[in-house]
Amino acid sequence: MLKLNTLGKRYGSRWILRDLNLEVLTGECVALLGPSGCGKSTALRLIAGLEHPDEGGIELEGRSLDGIPAERRRIGMVFQSYALFPHLSVRDNLDLGLKIRGMAPAKRREQIDAVLSTVQLVNEADRRPEQLSGGQRQRVALGRALLRNPSVYLLDEPMSNLDAQLRDELRPELRRLILQGPQPVLYVTHDQQEAMALADRIAVLRNGRIEQIGTPQELYLKPATRFVAGFIGRPQINWLKKTNGACIGIRPEHLRPDENGDRWRLIGREWLGANQLLLMEGAAGQLQMLCSADFQPGEHLGVSWSPKDEHHFDPISEKRLSRS
Amino acid sequence: MAMVFGWPMLRYSWLSMHASSVLTGLEPVSNQGANWIRLLEDARFWQDAVQTLRFAALSVGLEIVLALAMALLLDQSWRGRGVVRALSLLPWALPTTMMALGWRWIFNTPYGPLEQMAQSAGLSPLNLLSNPDWTWLATVIADVWKTTPFITLLLLAGLQTIPDDLYSAFRLEGGKTRQALTAITLPLLTPYILIGILFRTAQAAGVFDLIQVLTGGGPAGSTESIAQYAYLNAMRFLDFGYSATVMLAGFVLLSLVIFTAAVLLQISGLLRPLKS
Amino acid sequence: MNRSRPLWIALLLIWSLLPMLWQLITSLTSSDALVNADIPFQQRWTLAHYRELLSGDPPFWRYLFNSSLVGGLSTLLTLLLAVPAAYGIARMAPASRRTIRTVVGAAALFPYVLLFLALLELAREFQMGNNLLAIALPYAGLALPLALLLLISAFEGLPNELDDAARLEGLGVVDRLRWVLMPLIAPATASTGILVFLFAWNEYPIALTWLSRDDLLTLPVAMARIAGSSIYAVPYGAYAAATVLGSLPLLTLVLLCQRQIVAGLTNGAVKG
Repeated sequence: MLKLNTLGKRYGSRWILRDLNLEVLTGECVALLGPSGCGKSTALRLIAGLEHPDEGGIELEGRSLDGIPAERRRIGMVFQSYALFPHLSVRDNLDLGLKIRGMAPAKRREQIDAVLSTVQLVNEADRRPEQLSGGQRQRVALGRALLRNPSVYLLDEPMSNLDAQLRDELRPELRRLILQGPQPVLYVTHDQQEAMALADRIAVLRNGRIEQIGTPQELYLKPATRFVAGFIGRPQINWLKKTNGACIGIRPEHLRPDENGDRWRLIGREWLGANQLLLMEGAAGQLQMLCSADFQPGEHLGVSWSPKDEHHFDPISEKRLSRS
Repeated sequence: MAMVFGWPMLRYSWLSMHASSVLTGLEPVSNQGANWIRLLEDARFWQDAVQTLRFAALSVGLEIVLALAMALLLDQSWRGRGVVRALSLLPWALPTTMMALGWRWIFNTPYGPLEQMAQSAGLSPLNLLSNPDWTWLATVIADVWKTTPFITLLLLAGLQTIPDDLYSAFRLEGGKTRQALTAITLPLLTPYILIGILFRTAQAAGVFDLIQVLTGGGPAGSTESIAQYAYLNAMRFLDFGYSATVMLAGFVLLSLVIFTAAVLLQISGLLRPLKS
Repeated sequence: MNRSRPLWIALLLIWSLLPMLWQLITSLTSSDALVNADIPFQQRWTLAHYRELLSGDPPFWRYLFNSSLVGGLSTLLTLLLAVPAAYGIARMAPASRRTIRTVVGAAALFPYVLLFLALLELAREFQMGNNLLAIALPYAGLALPLALLLLISAFEGLPNELDDAARLEGLGVVDRLRWVLMPLIAPATASTGILVFLFAWNEYPIALTWLSRDDLLTLPVAMARIAGSSIYAVPYGAYAAATVLGSLPLLTLVLLCQRQIVAGLTNGAVKG
């Protein structure tokens, strides 16, 4: 189990991470989700020991990591750039850490061969990173983390350098190799879809602080703040003009065409395949709606929704207002 | 680094306030700034300062022009360019003292090739190394020959950072190839030219080996540089206090020149591309 | 420009090479022929200058050996100091890095001739005169700024994540330098080493003041001594032969390593 206690880091007088409390349980994958600059990568670097916290502490399997240098923490990390050693072959990339740890050559070879077949790179063992495709490089990085036999996995945007198709292919791979193991996994990403797809729980970060922690469903159904409501869910949630002092959000997928609803003028549309996204303009501003029926731009149409799908937030604190 | 660069400066500052020569038995004795007063009244020092400056100015000026031409030539693509670039680098790599003697032979009167040529052309002897008015030009030639390759490389690196697209765009705008030189190449090369000037001026102001071997400072002291004068004071006259004073003064003069140049450049706005 | 290009190339080569060729020709010309243009072409040539040089006391190869020793040692020492220092500096905060670069850059610009007197005092103080091993110390110190500039750029060019990844693999500082960082900056190290070697090989004022025993002179000092032996009658033939012999190792080095030299010079100057 990985436990972060009121973790904080500042550069000069600016806190880039503050009051981070988080537990990642055995076998659990928690995603740190947030826009760039929210402090999520810093959190990983603190856990890895690459930087030192100014506040709070980290516990791994019940032991504090304070004062233990990065090279002696048992951490399997996959970097955004993969950080493969460009002058070494795939095999040597995997071998370096084992060699330093003083493992016998025969045993090293055996372990590396096993990992190479797990990540399906047996035929690429003697190539250099520059001769590999993006997906293959990523698998080398995963293999290197696996070989460490770590107590925790830290994944820093492992998919962000891959194109959309490759990402879809690698997701099951990632589940098979890492997420199904017993080690806690902390997964940093700015892509909410990726977080929803892979993580058991998601911690949404904003300006160095956690906005909400919860399962993907909880975040989607009951966003705790206005920021979370806007960040989770694509297409983005619609914001309606304030009524009785509250900020009201309604998701595009919860709108439906209704002859008796308010009138909106269609100003644009995007085909998504199974359905289309309609962009509408009305007295209350703009509205996006997911809809499978065919309408033409310029048309006026009626739209309605069920009040239970509305999300209400306090306009000042931006916190969720509970409604009976 | 502190030992090699910092210590000497402190030591010189201290020495320059002391008499330390054969007269004092080589023991430093404080003389309350007498060294500096002597320096101010020392015509030989000021003559050397002027000589050093004119040597640096002319050499660096010629080097920049020549290096620019060479760099433009080497920047084009043609067969054998790599070999020519390597060959043109050779003068820079050889020890100064070695080639200074080589040049001394070339300038030799009456047996050097230059005099031989002048002779067969029916000219009167050039006496390049024994004419106090002209000898400093011989030192300039030898210096230009040796150090131009360095600036050439620098400018070549600069040329290679200019994207080809700029030239294409310029031609589409109707610009001629010749105009591109002043419209694109030179402005974008300015930072590199400035670095070259800065670097070479500092080096040329400390010129020692070349003149020591080529002319020994002569004829009649006409080519003596500040560094040489400092060397003479220390090693021949064994006057360490005054030698330190000369070196410190030389350093201050050089800093002044560079500082003034930097201020002028700052005012003219030429340094701006350097910061981006 | 295109049509006249061969002409320009020819001019460039003549300008660069002719003075050296003249040395070669001189070295093969008999002393009599040097001062007498009337000696017929066939009788002008001789290897006497080379024979004289190699049988002199001390023989000429001694200077070559001295210079190689000093050059090699200075290079080794400089790199030993500069590589770890550059790594440390490259990992500092940007603000302190800028300050250090400015200071190091200024030191690299400094006309080091002006330092000879204080360095000579140091040599006397610590009895390091006439010692080929000791002279590598000031050489390393003087070459350090340039070496630092080059190597700092090289380290800065490496992604931080590589260093981090190596740490997580369990590599301490020494292991990281040994297995990951050094191999990656090998090209920059090579060009730095060559430039330092050239500097030490060619250095004159310090060698002139630190070394006085005949058999310990480095090449530049030995050469200048020939010149200084008598202002009016320099033995040009022997001297030219010395130039040729003394240049050969350098010519080989430059032609073999021109790529690294070019890379080193341009990186150092442009980024510094």
